[in-house]
Formats: sequence, C-alpha cells, structure tokens
Amino acid sequence: MMGRTGRMMRSRPVARLHELQLLVWVAALSITGYLAVVAAASGRFAWPELVVPAVALAIFGLLHIFLVSIGFRGDQLLLPLAVGLTAIGFVLVERLAPGLLLQQLSWLVIAAGAFCVTILIPRDLSALSRYKYTWALIGLLLLISPLLPVVGREINGARIWVGIRGIAQFEPWELVKIALVIFFAAYLEEHREMLSTPPRRIGPIPVPPVPYLLPIVGMWLVAMLVMVFEKDLGATLLFFGIFLAMLYLATGEPFYVVLGLLLLVGGGFVAYQAFHHVAARIDVWLAPFSSDLRFDTGYQLTQGLFSLANAGLFGAGLGNGMPERIPVVWSDFVFDAFTEEVGFAGALALLALYLVFVYRGMLIALRAPTTFLQLLAAGLSFIIAFQTLVIVGGNAKLIPLTGITLPFVAYGGSSLVTNFMLVGLLLRVSDITARVRG
Amino acid sequence: MEITFAVLLWGVRIAFLVLLYLFLIRAFRTLQRSLAEERVTMAARSVGLAVLVVTQSHAGGPRVGERLPLRAVNSVGRDAGNDVVLNDDAASAKHAVVSFADGEWWLEDAGSTNGTLLNGTRVWERERVHYGDQVQVGRIALRLERVQ
Repeated sequence: MMGRTGRMMRSRPVARLHELQLLVWVAALSITGYLAVVAAASGRFAWPELVVPAVALAIFGLLHIFLVSIGFRGDQLLLPLAVGLTAIGFVLVERLAPGLLLQQLSWLVIAAGAFCVTILIPRDLSALSRYKYTWALIGLLLLISPLLPVVGREINGARIWVGIRGIAQFEPWELVKIALVIFFAAYLEEHREMLSTPPRRIGPIPVPPVPYLLPIVGMWLVAMLVMVFEKDLGATLLFFGIFLAMLYLATGEPFYVVLGLLLLVGGGFVAYQAFHHVAARIDVWLAPFSSDLRFDTGYQLTQGLFSLANAGLFGAGLGNGMPERIPVVWSDFVFDAFTEEVGFAGALALLALYLVFVYRGMLIALRAPTTFLQLLAAGLSFIIAFQTLVIVGGNAKLIPLTGITLPFVAYGGSSLVTNFMLVGLLLRVSDITARVRG
Repeated sequence: MEITFAVLLWGVRIAFLVLLYLFLIRAFRTLQRSLAEERVTMAARSVGLAVLVVTQSHAGGPRVGERLPLRAVNSVGRDAGNDVVLNDDAASAKHAVVSFADGEWWLEDAGSTNGTLLNGTRVWERERVHYGDQVQVGRIALRLERVQ
C-alpha cells in the first residue's frame, strides 16, 4: 500500500517556502515563550530546560520535511497555524502543569504519526465516502464505549473516557467528531437533492419523505443520549451544531436549522428539569458568584473570571500571573490562563489565529472539486470554529461552561491526536484540489 | 544582577507578545498573497482556451483585429458586466452566451432583441461553433480562433 500511494503522490520533492518561513516564526515564538515561563519559575535563564520545546520543534520540522519529500502540493498555511497553536499549548503546559509536559510530548509524537497516516490515505479520499456507514458505526461504537464496563471511566463528573487505570486514558469522543463529519459529508452528498428539493411542501416548510428525516431525528436522539448518559454538555452542543451547520450547507434550507434548534432547546429544557448535572451547569453559568455556589460548583468559573479580570491590556507577563488558582486550569481554562498572562492583546492574537485557520479551511472547502470534499473540509473547519467558540465562550461566562478543549492549545492527548488528523484531512483536500486544477 | 535578570525576563515576555503578533501578521500575509495568486491564475486561465477576433466593427465598437479572450462560460452583450463587452446600439444588454462544454464551443442566444447570427444564420437554440466560424452580434462580427 505504501508503494502505491508513493507512486500516486509522484514523489518528486516540492519546496514549501511559505510553510518553512512560518515555521521559523513558530520556533522563535515557542523558544521565547518557554524561556520566559522557565525563567519566571526558576529565577534564572536555564538553557537545558529548552530540550522539550526543541524536541517539539524538531517534530514540527520533520512533518514539514515529510510533506516536502512526498511532493505534497496542499495548503501551506494550516500546518504552521496548527503547530504554532500547539507550541503555545506547550508553553502553557510548562507554565500550568510542568509534570504533564513529557506526557504531552509523547502524545505529540503519536499525533504526528496520525497526521502522516492521514496524509498517506490513498487516492482522492473516496474510500472515506464509500464506506460511510462503516464510519457511522465506528463513530457510534466509540461514542458508547465509555459507557461499557471495565474500559469506561468517569472523570470529573463526565463519563467520556476509555482507558486502563494508571496506564493511558483516551477520550473517544474526540475521534467520533471526525468519523461523524466524514459520515455527514458522504450522507449529505448522496441525499442533498431529496433534502433540498423535497416533493411536497406545506407553505415554506419542506416535507421530505420520512426516511430522509430519520437521520436528523436520529442525530438528535444520539446527542440527547450523550447529554444524559455521558453527562457531556459540550459534546452534545458540538455534535449537533456541526450536524446542523453541514445540513444547512448541503441543502440551503433554513427550516432544518430551525427544526434542529427547536429540538435542541426542547431537549435541553427537559434535561435541565430532569437531570441534576445539566441543571448544575446552567445554575453556575447564571450566577457563579451566588453565595451557595461561589466556593462549591461555581469555584472554577469564578476563579477563571478573576483571572480574566486581572488580565488588562497586556497581562501580567508570562509566568507572572496566578492562573494556578483555577482548578484543572491546564485542560479546562487555558484561555483564561493565557489571557491573564499576556492580556487582551495576546488573547486577541490567539483568537485571530483560530480565525485565520477556520477562514483558510473554508477557502479549501470552497475550492474543493466534489461535494463530498467540500462538505468534508467545511465540517472539519466547523469543528475547530465551534470548539473555540464553545470553550472560550464558556471560559468567559458567555455560555454555560462545558468540557470541550481549546483546539491544539489545551493539555490533552486525545484532542491533540484528533486535531492533527483533522489538519491532515484538510491538507489532503487542498492537495486533491491543487492536483485537479493542475 | 537581580535587576538585570528582571529586565531580561520582561524583555523576553514582551518579545513573546511581539512574536505572537509577527507570526499572526505573517499568516495573514500568506493568506492574502495566496488569494492574490488565485486571482492571477484565474485571469491567466481565461486566455488559455480560445479568443473571439473582431473581423467587422464600426466607430465606437471594438477595433477590427482585436482579440477578446474567452473563459469556459462567457456572456456577450452591451452591458459592462459581460465577459465580452460589445459597444453596439443593435446589441442587447445581455445578448448571447459562448460556452465550452464536452470539448466543444457552443453559441446560444440570450433572448436578444435583434438576434445572433452564426455564419449568417440566426441562432434559435444552442449551436456548435467550430474554429473559424463567424458570429454576428448587431453590427459586430467575430471569428472564433484557437489560442496556440
């Protein structure tokens, strides 16, 4: 298989100068940030401590060399952006949880491997759309796997983990995102005609035949099950949000979005009444400073808000703030921690990096030659956009806080691996486009 | 010693923020540059297929011998928004469509007032155009030519 893909890729090296140039900036950014954090913690400039970022940068460099050597013609902006955000993530892990740094580095090695595998998927990714029901099945199995005995575990109130105690844990939900986007893209490509020009209409409301409505209702049911049994509010939001966005992209029918949102709000309201963990999240969001929540379930959010409030325009300086007062800051509240130390200016730059990433992803989607590839690229970009929106909004108390991770930056192996696969797929779509257009 | 360290540390902290912005600006510039390149390749592609050569015209219309580049689909008419703009009183705002499909060139009248002629015959439905054929819109005649 390697031989076949190698031939297909026409393995003549192609220079990727823009990418290389941007990677040099990432290197400078990474070393500087790391140096500041280490110096602030230890009181001196310690060069040996720079080994970890150096290894991380070497991995980034190898990814670049890998793309050059196989003659890859895809996008040159996405990898530096992803890698730059990851580098910021490493600075923050060193700042907030130095003990987890080596673990994160080993996850990065796995993520780089996963990236290369997605880059080497043969031909035009048609295998992804051909086996769409297999992907849906894998997605569903991964989704329910944390509920299984023995391997499933509940951490911090959410039953979304699979693993063996003390060895390794993985959040299968992260991989589910990609499997489901592939499935949605393939499914919507096949059925968009029927969904967008249904045979019957009642006023402005399209009425497609019942079999076509089933997946929408099915997705809603699955999303609700995730909320109820795995107690993961963020996954529910993300999952259903991506589905609705892709449905709208494929059909151009606002009716489906309205229907989906009504279903979500209805389900959310029932869950708020019936389930304690959902109600707790909402109550904390509405009034984190109320006297009975401030030192209880609202503690994390209030500490985060104090952290944000102390940021100012330029922040306290890297290593100079007190973000460690927020519980589990390295995975849930990295945005607040980053903002406290680099201020509004830094937070704005960080969000702008996500914006460029998503914009670039959407451009790749616009140019892609087939409907499947367009929907795939758009769906993958949506994942990053929604996740950033949901977690930054949650950290800033704009919306209820959820357990979604800030893509690339937050500590977490599963999300790092998945996000690098996501970048790999986006790059593959842009590579196919470049080859088709000649 | 203490003070030197503190100054250095602040220097590094500020450098981080500055580098963050420089990286962002670089990324923006790469994005902008690739968009500009895209426009250039699109423009280059439009002259790659074929041209319409003006063989007959009048004062105010295009110069005889002028080569009008074609894309895959071209609207022809008096309106400035057309791909091929023909300044002629007898031409409709949107007069005809010249398109490339299935390896052939096609001519279609877009509901013009005075009609479109292909080799002297009025075009009623989509007709095939060969290289060297004469297309007449109003008082302007054009010849389809392959670009070498």
